[in-house]
Amino acid sequence: MIAFYDTNLVLIQATLSGLVLALAIQVPLRMGVFSFAGAGSYGIGAYLSAILVLRQGMPGPVAIAVAVLVAAVIGLLLGLLIFKLNGLYLAMATVAFDLIISVIAINGGDLTGASTGLYGVLTDFTTGQMFALTVLVVGLVALSERGRMRRRVDAVRDDPELAASLGINVRRYRLVAFVVSGALGGLAGGMNVMVRTAIGPLDIGFGLIVLALTMIVVGGSRSWKGAVIGAVIFTWLPDVLAVIGEWQELVYGVIVAVAAVFLPRGLYGVIVDLTKWLGRIRRKRRTGGAEQPVDAPESVEPERVELDNTLSREQGGEVARMAAQSEVS
Amino acid sequence: MNWLAFGRSRRRSAPVVMVALATLVTATACGGSASGGSADGGLPETIKIVSINPTTGIVAFAGAGANKGYQLAVKEINASNLLGGSKLELELSDTKSEAQTAASEVSSAVADKKVAAVFGSVSSTEAVAMSPIAQKQGLPIVYTQAGSSGVVVGDFTYRATPLMSTYYPILKKYLQQQGWKSVGIIYTQLTPTLQEIGSKTLPDLAKELGMTVTGSIATPATTQDFQAPIAQILGGKPDVVAILQVGASNPTAMKQLRQAGYDGPVLGNSGASAGNLKPAGADGAGMVWPVDFNYQQASSSSQKFVKAFKAEYGEDPLNYSAEAYDAAWFLARSIAAAGSTDRKAIKDAMAKEAAKSSTGALGEGLTWKDQTIVVPGVVVEWTGNGEKLLYEAGAQ
Amino acid sequence: MQDLVNVVTLGSIYLLFALGMSITWGTIDILNFGHGSIFMFSTFSAYLVLAETSLPLLPVVLIGVLVGAAMSLLIQVVAFEQILKRAKDKRTAEMQILIGGIGVAIIPLAIAQHQTKSNPFGLSESSYQVGTWVIGDIRITSIAALTVVVAVLLWAATAIWLKRSRHGLALRAIGVDAETAALMGIDRRRLALVTMAASGGMAGLSGVLFTYSLGAITPESGDTLLVKAFACIILGGVGSMLGVAFGAYFLAAAETVVLTQTSGSWVEAVSFGLIFLVLLLRPAGVFGRKEVRRT
Repeated sequence: MIAFYDTNLVLIQATLSGLVLALAIQVPLRMGVFSFAGAGSYGIGAYLSAILVLRQGMPGPVAIAVAVLVAAVIGLLLGLLIFKLNGLYLAMATVAFDLIISVIAINGGDLTGASTGLYGVLTDFTTGQMFALTVLVVGLVALSERGRMRRRVDAVRDDPELAASLGINVRRYRLVAFVVSGALGGLAGGMNVMVRTAIGPLDIGFGLIVLALTMIVVGGSRSWKGAVIGAVIFTWLPDVLAVIGEWQELVYGVIVAVAAVFLPRGLYGVIVDLTKWLGRIRRKRRTGGAEQPVDAPESVEPERVELDNTLSREQGGEVARMAAQSEVS
Repeated sequence: MNWLAFGRSRRRSAPVVMVALATLVTATACGGSASGGSADGGLPETIKIVSINPTTGIVAFAGAGANKGYQLAVKEINASNLLGGSKLELELSDTKSEAQTAASEVSSAVADKKVAAVFGSVSSTEAVAMSPIAQKQGLPIVYTQAGSSGVVVGDFTYRATPLMSTYYPILKKYLQQQGWKSVGIIYTQLTPTLQEIGSKTLPDLAKELGMTVTGSIATPATTQDFQAPIAQILGGKPDVVAILQVGASNPTAMKQLRQAGYDGPVLGNSGASAGNLKPAGADGAGMVWPVDFNYQQASSSSQKFVKAFKAEYGEDPLNYSAEAYDAAWFLARSIAAAGSTDRKAIKDAMAKEAAKSSTGALGEGLTWKDQTIVVPGVVVEWTGNGEKLLYEAGAQ
Repeated sequence: MQDLVNVVTLGSIYLLFALGMSITWGTIDILNFGHGSIFMFSTFSAYLVLAETSLPLLPVVLIGVLVGAAMSLLIQVVAFEQILKRAKDKRTAEMQILIGGIGVAIIPLAIAQHQTKSNPFGLSESSYQVGTWVIGDIRITSIAALTVVVAVLLWAATAIWLKRSRHGLALRAIGVDAETAALMGIDRRRLALVTMAASGGMAGLSGVLFTYSLGAITPESGDTLLVKAFACIILGGVGSMLGVAFGAYFLAAAETVVLTQTSGSWVEAVSFGLIFLVLLLRPAGVFGRKEVRRT
């Protein structure tokens, strides 16, 4: 166990920071905000905390805290500027934001180490602290996926007009998405640079966006559990594939493509379907084959009830009824 | 650009670990104290070395070249009696041109007590991620290429490739011969090495020779088309143009320079070697660059290497292989001097070894300064279908 | 003046590349992130053929176009059609197509990287040699002139085809409302295949022309262009033919001006900063219609 931990320490750390990064992209997506600014925040978090440690001699955790705060504020400012944009136009604006962060990193002279980047960021920040922080933010994100909060978020995403008519301040929710994304991105970057000790311009490019998106889409885009699944798979898969040898890249591509094509709701969706299916079989046995009425609308609009198992039976029924009504209207 | 570059790694295959364990047990049985995988009585039967280098991805050409040099050297070392009957066992580990994987691999090597030392990555980006780990955990690591700062960070880290900035000034002789009075520079921001040459080393050299720099343009990593910077630089009417770019950009820049009407020689860098200029055809002819090794260089130790390399692989060696070859011999000599595979002992022996002058594939009179090798270097010119040796700095 | 020529040739390369992406995105809603890979691999195929036998320009271009079209069709059939068949709603379909395209793109990339070890490859074995014309102070290469002419003609032809022909009308109908279009008897599948083939052909064409004019590309070259093409299309407004041309030449001009007027290192920040600003002023691109789709 200890040997496994030592040998794979870098991968374990990469899984944690990858997970937080994936959440930084997933949280806004779940609110219907197509923003990739989390990747830029990752760059801000990584560079800023590295600079604070190297130039100001700050302890690691403090530097991370400052970086998270700054990244969140920048996220808010960015949000105020562009929250009116929609869909892929918003995506493009945030991609531009990310690329500009990269250019600043490469042109920052001694402050950012130009094309070399910053290295030798040695602090007392431990993997244990990293684990605790990750669990904390995952817990907070998970809370936002429950009960009233979840229904409000779903409404903001699926039907902003309806949400507004129900008295939900849509604009505020969208701004919160930017802030949370900024803070999460900053945290992922800050933590990663502390354990990796180095950061360079090539580490914060377009690839971050692609990686986070791949994790989310293949893992499951509507739940933090999907992000966890995605982060674990895409950190460890290449390692597992190494046995194949020289064609591993090709197999990797095939796996991503196949997952994207055949698993519309990601691996988490498959797990939900499986548990549901098992539950149904059990119920069938108990009731002697009679289908539960709740299941009918589910098959029409599974999107809205996919998180059924996190809700009580009644809430699930309520959501399903709402879904059925909106089908009619 | 590799997009999915965040969490890649390659696992050491299980059988090797098993073998390592088995030998560890044997060593313990007959040698007493076996911490660090070594026996007090001397060297174990096999000494495990790992080359952590990219053999896939964007810097695969350099990593693959380095591995050829390591393999050849290990073969020769094992055939010689340098290690007194002990054999080096070289394991190749692919970083896929990704820093994360490189860091992960070096952690695995640290954890594998059987590993005596590591050959570090040719890529600076990967190397700066590896060095703190190796240094902190006390694992000897010898790099080739990896010219940025932050690679050599302590007494466990060595670099068997000279910094380009230390041998680039041998171009001075060529510049004087040509009698140019001005130079225009186009350099890439992509690598720290070329950024340093373009923004500092070459302008300093020009200043020393009384040449004026008519213009200097830094191109971003994503630039593929050089018409605009070339037009701008040629507008300053320099006597000579310097193109400091990586791989594919060299043939493009040469082609577009010729199309823009510039026919003179072009100052370059070793990124243009390895046949990278071939796609430019005749337009590529006339690029001149200093390099730490060329297969035509005269010294007998270099020629001995070239001959062995040709016999092994059926082709002329590139500088990547020559550097790796010398790195492997340097490490082997250190292990022999240490008489142990204890990592600390190897480190101490490397320090002593680096204080001596040696001969190798890179030539004669090789020395080390601040744990980085220093070589005389040579200047070559691309003729359109091959490299022509102009002069050797060491032969002056 | 020479700068203007350079802007026009660079812009034409962006246009040729972005045009293929734009027609599938604007009509059948497929943002194909495998486009860069098709671009690279069709050129790579031409390079492989040239290693066997020397060919003049036209057959090389033809190889590029055919390989590109074939790859694009293949991706459509094995990946995108399957995604659309299974997707529950438009938003998830969009995301999956994005990731599916990226996943598929890795495959040809891995093959080319494996064969070349990421060394540059070019079309120098071709019997066609690029010439240079000098008119006064201005120099232009034959391949640059050809690129400009082809880009502009192809762009105009596509625009007219979309506007005037029955196919074009049907495609635009799909772009506005796929379901109603299907009710009107439009064979969506066949049209989608035609569009994807055309798009892939354009990727192959731009790959070959681009490589002739640069001398060499690497397996990774397509990825760099991909981000820029994405920017061009968004800048002009998705689905707008005028928009994609504007985006391509605007980006080329912005890059050239920054590169020649400064020391160069801020090129990307300025060009993407401009895109950012334009989007603030025109949230649906410069020539974009108001979003008909719900986002």
